[in-house]
Amino acid sequence: MKRYVIGLLWLMCNTVSAEEVLAFANDAQRELYYQLAAELRCPQCQNQNIADSNAIVAVDMRQKTYQLVQQGQSRQQILQYMINRYGDFVHYQPPLNRVTIWLWLAPLLLLLGLLAVGLYRRRNEAAQTPDNLAGTPDELEQLIEKYRSKKP
Amino acid sequence: MRKLFFYAPLALFLLLALFLLSGLFSDPRERASATLNKSLPAFALADLMQPQHIWTAEQLKGETFLLNVWGTWCPTCNAELGYLTELRQQGVKIVGLYYELPRDPAFDAPFNLQTLQQDVSQKLAQHGDPYQFNILDLQRSLSLDLGVSGAPETFIIDAQGIIRLHHIGDINSQVWRSKLAPSYQQWSQP
Amino acid sequence: MIVEAGQLALTFAFALAVLLAILPLYGSFVANKPMLLLAKPLAFGQFFFCLLAMLALIYAFRTNDFSVINVAQNSSSTLPWYYQITASFGSHEGSMLLWVLMLAGWTALVAQFSKALPLQLHGRILGILGLINVGFVAFSLIMSNPFERSLPFFPVEGRDLNPLLQDFGMILHPPTLYMGYVGFAVAFAFAIAALMGGRFDSVWARWVRPWALAAWLFLTLGIMLGSWWAYNELGWGGWWFWDPVENASFMPWLAGTALIHSLAVTEKRGTFKSWTVLLALAAFALSLVGAFLVRSGVLVSVHSFATDPGRGLYLLVFLLLVVGGSLLLYGIRMNAVRSQARYQLFSREMMLWGNNIFLLTACLIVFLGTLFPLFHKELGLGTISIGEPFFNQMFYYLTIPFALLLGLAPWVRWKQQQLLPLIKPFSLIAIASLMLALGVMASMQSVQANLGLLGLLLGAWVGISALAEVMLRLRQFGSVSAGISKLNASHYGMTLAHIGFAVLVVGVAMTKTYTVERDVRMQEGDSTSVAGYEFTLTDVYDLNGPNYGGQAAELDVSKDGGYVTHLHAEKRFYRIQRTIMTESAVHARLSRDLYVSLGEELPGNAWALRIQVKPFVRWIWLGGVLMSLGALLALADKRYRRKSSVAKQEVANA
Repeated sequence: MKRYVIGLLWLMCNTVSAEEVLAFANDAQRELYYQLAAELRCPQCQNQNIADSNAIVAVDMRQKTYQLVQQGQSRQQILQYMINRYGDFVHYQPPLNRVTIWLWLAPLLLLLGLLAVGLYRRRNEAAQTPDNLAGTPDELEQLIEKYRSKKP
Repeated sequence: MRKLFFYAPLALFLLLALFLLSGLFSDPRERASATLNKSLPAFALADLMQPQHIWTAEQLKGETFLLNVWGTWCPTCNAELGYLTELRQQGVKIVGLYYELPRDPAFDAPFNLQTLQQDVSQKLAQHGDPYQFNILDLQRSLSLDLGVSGAPETFIIDAQGIIRLHHIGDINSQVWRSKLAPSYQQWSQP
Repeated sequence: MIVEAGQLALTFAFALAVLLAILPLYGSFVANKPMLLLAKPLAFGQFFFCLLAMLALIYAFRTNDFSVINVAQNSSSTLPWYYQITASFGSHEGSMLLWVLMLAGWTALVAQFSKALPLQLHGRILGILGLINVGFVAFSLIMSNPFERSLPFFPVEGRDLNPLLQDFGMILHPPTLYMGYVGFAVAFAFAIAALMGGRFDSVWARWVRPWALAAWLFLTLGIMLGSWWAYNELGWGGWWFWDPVENASFMPWLAGTALIHSLAVTEKRGTFKSWTVLLALAAFALSLVGAFLVRSGVLVSVHSFATDPGRGLYLLVFLLLVVGGSLLLYGIRMNAVRSQARYQLFSREMMLWGNNIFLLTACLIVFLGTLFPLFHKELGLGTISIGEPFFNQMFYYLTIPFALLLGLAPWVRWKQQQLLPLIKPFSLIAIASLMLALGVMASMQSVQANLGLLGLLLGAWVGISALAEVMLRLRQFGSVSAGISKLNASHYGMTLAHIGFAVLVVGVAMTKTYTVERDVRMQEGDSTSVAGYEFTLTDVYDLNGPNYGGQAAELDVSKDGGYVTHLHAEKRFYRIQRTIMTESAVHARLSRDLYVSLGEELPGNAWALRIQVKPFVRWIWLGGVLMSLGALLALADKRYRRKSSVAKQEVANA
C-alpha cells in the first residue's frame, strides 16, 4: 500500500515521458524494424527469431537491422544483406526455386485434384447406384438395430 | 488403375519414411554457409596484442590459412587451443579472430584492452598458442560479415583470400582429418 | 521401493498389453468367445497397472528421490509441490509414461462404453489398441525408462524443472493434448477393425463419431492451452509461432476436423467411405508422426525433448509398422468398397467435401512447411527456414474461401438444394455482416480496408449465418420455443463450434492488424503512452521466490485520466537452472489485452519494458473454447448413448 501511495505521488508531481529504447524517424521505419526482427531467424538458437532471442549473434543482428533501417534501406536490401551473410536459412520465408516451388504448387494441386475427384465421383455414383439408403434418422435407427441383431 | 489409387497413401508414406530415416542420421543444426567461395570481406581491425597495427583483408593474402574465431570466455575454444597448437607445429598457419562479448552496462566493467590482453596471454600460456597473431573484433563486425553465429568457428582461406571452408564447432583430430585437412591440402597447393 | 513397484507395474502393463493384442484378435478370427470376452478385463488391467506406474513416478517426484535419474534431472526439493507433480510428465521419459497411461485409459473407456458393439468388433478394436500400446509400453521400458536409478551415486539436489514449464498452463496442457493425440487411436482402431471385417457403413460411422469427437475436443483444448501458455510465459506476446512442435499438434487437428465432418456424411448418407477411413487412419498417423518429430531430433524446435537417435530409430520402425501396415491394409481392402449415394452438385455432401478439401490442403501446407526444410537439406540443396511469413500467407488465402463456404454449408440440404430459396437469406446475412463489421471498425475509429476488416467480415458471415440457420431449424418445429428442446444436441454443438471458428478468425485478424508494441526505457516515475493507455512505472524491486530471484516492476495504467489497472511484471532468475524467465503482466478484457514484460536493466537506473496493447487477442482462445464446447454438446447427443437390448446376447462367430 505504501509503495502504491509513493507511486501515486510520483505520478502526480514527477511525470516524465519515457523514450523508446530504439528511436525511429517515422512509423514506417518502426514497423519495418519490428517486421524484420520477427522474420529473421537467429542462426544460433533452436528455432527463434532475432526479436525473441538474446543470443549474442541475435543481438548483433538486431543492431545491424536497426542501423540499416535508420540508413533508410529497403526491406529487400536488408533481407539480402542478412542472406548474403547467413544464407537463406536466416529468413523465415523460403526462397523461390525449382524445388521450393512445390511448397506452393503441391497444395494447389491437392486442392484442385480433390475438387476434381469430388466432381468425378459424384457423376459416377449418381449414374450407377440406386438410392436405397436411410433417408431419415428413423430409418438409420432401424438399420442399426438390424445390424446389431444380425449374426455375422 | 482404381486399385493403384488406394495404394497412393502407402507410397507417399514410405517416401516420407525414407526422408525421416536419412534425417535421423544428419545433424539438424548443421547449415550451409553463405560466405563460401567468396572473398574475405573488407575490414580494418586492430591487432589484439599490438593495437597500433591495423589488419586488412589485403594483408592476409598470399598464403592459405585458418581463421579461427574464438574468445577466452568460451570453454570449447579453450579446449581446442591444444590441438590447434599441434597443427601450428605441423606448419599450418592459423590466425585468431578474437570474438569479444558485448558488455552489459548494468553488470560488467567497461572494456579494457589491457585486461583482455592479460587474460588472452594467460590462456594461451596455459593451453598453447596456435596463433600467428590475433585480430580483435571488438564490435563483431567482421564476424557478422563472415556469417559467424558464435564461437568457435573456423574458416579456411586460400592464398587469393577466398573463403574455402566454414566449420561451425570445435576442431579435434577426427574433425581435422575428415573435414578440414582435405580442404586445407587442396587449397594450399601452389 | 515404490519406484521398483512402479517399474514392476509397467512391466505387468506390458504383459497385459501383449495378451490384449493377441487373444481377442486371434479369438475374433477363430470365433472363440471366451478369448473375445477377455478383451475387457485385459483392457481394465492394463489401465490399472499403467495408473500404478504413473502414481509411483509421482511419488518419486513428491519424495524428492534423486536416485531416480528422471527426478534428479527434472525436479528439485525447492520446487512447489504442484510443479513436482507436473514435473513427472515434464521430461521425455515421464511424458511417454503419460502417453501410455492415456492410451490405456482410452482403451478402458472403449471397453466400458462400447458394450453395444458386436462382440467380434469390440474384441478387435480393443486388440488393436492393445497392439499399439505394446509398442509404446515397450518403448517406455526399453528406450526411455522413467524409473531408471543412478545408484550407487546420486545427487543430493535435483536440477530443477525447466522454468518454462513452471506455469499453470503446463499443469493442464500436456494431459489435455495427449488425450487428444492418443484419442485418435480409437478412431484408428475402429478403422482397422472395419478394414479387417470389410464392413463400414452408416452404422460404423455412428459408432466412431463420438470417439473422434471426444479426441478432437481434447486436442482443440490442448492446443489452445499450449497457445495460452506460450502467450503468458514466453514474454513476447506471441500466441503461435509455427514451430515444428506446434505444427505437430496442428496437423492431426486439421485431419481430425476433416474426419468429424466426413463421418457426418458417412453416417447420414453412407458415402465417402474410403475417404473417411483414410482420414481416421491419417489423424492418428499424423499424431504418431508428430510424436516422432518431437522426440527424434530430426527437426530443430524451441521446445523439443532432449533427443537420441536410438529413440528416433525405434519410433520410426514403429511408425513404419503401424502406419505402413495400416495403409497397406487400406490399399488391399479398400478397392472392394463401393460407396452408394446420389447427390447433386449443390448439396450438403459437396459442401462437406469442400470442407475436407480445404482442411486437407491446410494440413498439407503445415506438413510441407514443417518438413520441407528437411527434404531440402537431405536432397543436398542447402538449408532453408520456413516460418511465419510463409504460413501466414498460405493461411490467408485458404481461410477466405473456407470461411465463405462455412457460412453457406449448414443451410444446404443433403442430396439436393435449390439455389433460389437461399438467395434471400444469404443476401440478408451478407448485408448484416457488412454492417456489423463496419460498425465495429467505426467504433474503433479505424474504418479502412485491411486484414482486420476482412477478419470481421468473415467472422460475421460465419457467425450470423450459423445463428440464423439454427433459428430457421427451430422455427421448423413450429415455434422457436417449441424447437429448443427438440433440436438435436449435436446441431447446437455444430452451431457453437462454427461460431467458435468465427470468433477465432476475428481474434486472429484483429490482433494481427491492431497490436501496438513499444519497447521503452523507463525509470521509476516515468510514464509512456501506448495506444491511448498511459503506463506509469511506479516501482521496481528485488524478488525472492522459492527457487528463483529477480526483479518485479509495478505499473499503473490509466486512460483519459481514469485509472484502469495496476500491473505487476516479473523477470525471474531461476537459481538452479540459471535461466532468466519473463513473467508478463497481463490485463485481459474481451476487447483488448494490456501486456507488459520487464526487460533488461539499462544504464542510468532505468529498465527496458516491452509494452503491448493487443485488441481482441482473447477471442483467439475464446474461439477455441467455444469449438471445444461445441464438441462437448455434440457428444451429449442422445443418439450416441442409446442402449441396445439385443447387444448383450450377441455372439460373434465369423
